[in-house]
Amino acid sequence: MANIAAQRIKREFREVVTSEEVQRCAIKLELVNDSFTELRGEIGGPPDTPYEGANYVLEIKVPETYPFNPPKVRFVTKIWHPNISSVTGAICLDILKDQWAAAMTLRTVLLSLQALLAAAEPDDPQDAVVARQYKEKNDLFRLTARHWGAAYAGGPDRNSDFENKIRRLLDMGVEEHKARVALSSYDWDLERATEQLFS
Amino acid sequence: MADYFSELGFRPLAEGEVPDHGAHLLRLLRDSGNFDLLQMFVELRGEGGSSAPAASKAAVQALPLVQPLENENCAVCLKNYDEESQCRMMPCKHKFHQECIFTWLKQTNSCPICRKELPTDDLDYEAIRKHKERESERNQQLESLHNSMFS
Ligand SMILES: [Zn+2]
Ligand SMILES: [Zn+2]
Repeated sequence: MANIAAQRIKREFREVVTSEEVQRCAIKLELVNDSFTELRGEIGGPPDTPYEGANYVLEIKVPETYPFNPPKVRFVTKIWHPNISSVTGAICLDILKDQWAAAMTLRTVLLSLQALLAAAEPDDPQDAVVARQYKEKNDLFRLTARHWGAAYAGGPDRNSDFENKIRRLLDMGVEEHKARVALSSYDWDLERATEQLFS
Repeated sequence: MADYFSELGFRPLAEGEVPDHGAHLLRLLRDSGNFDLLQMFVELRGEGGSSAPAASKAAVQALPLVQPLENENCAVCLKNYDEESQCRMMPCKHKFHQECIFTWLKQTNSCPICRKELPTDDLDYEAIRKHKERESERNQQLESLHNSMFS
């Protein structure tokens, strides 16, 4: 890896790890390898959002051309959000694409992702199914996002109605995550989710 | 008739050469003032990367060399400046190592900190930018006219 990228990550890393903000905003950064090309980020769900109380792990890959090009970031923890793929964790956020600027840091990236959890952009979706639910049935979207937070990210409130529906599908031999995806995608309509799973 | 076309910059295609329809379309849109469509096609051509082009070479060379304070650091590489540092200042007064800011401006035309733009050598981009500036000026004039009439 080019020297400038590694040296910059080293400086950033020291800065993030020692900052008070890390505690306050619940952001974390860890090295995955010694060459500073891959890091593991963690962000806490912002208060007053369906993600509150949950923790989300991020995979961060630093290109050789960093900081002239953005890091490649993906959610490892499964999440229900219009701008994040519920399948791959891929993120649709302008600063990770054409709005990147060389003065941005991994810290600003983590804070921007936290802001994205607090304010989705449903008109520029990464996951069309989630975006549709966000726009058309926002209450249900919030319950679903919270449920995913409890199931995958250590969040509170496992929704018992949702749990029961998932159990019904488990009894039919459907794998748990598949059941959750099908039910979430069909607005927790058990009949339609079953139909889709067995068609 | 040949003169008419060559005046417009047209030339016959070489053997086996395919016309660059994209370039023709962009020129057509630019010349006819169809800025919204122009912007759409420019963005499509950019595919993923930065949508803004590099800063113009002349503008980059004209950035003044400055003496930075030793306890300041460069926002691109995050290193502190020392006596040997060669630094350049952007019109917005933000300073960077020459090497750091030159590398960035080869890629895109705005300040890494505040995004204030330098001119580019890209005709399509400049046409869209001027159009946007005119539009926002017109909107401001309309608004102040409206305010003076109804306040
Ligand atoms: Zn520098
Ligand atoms: Zn600036």
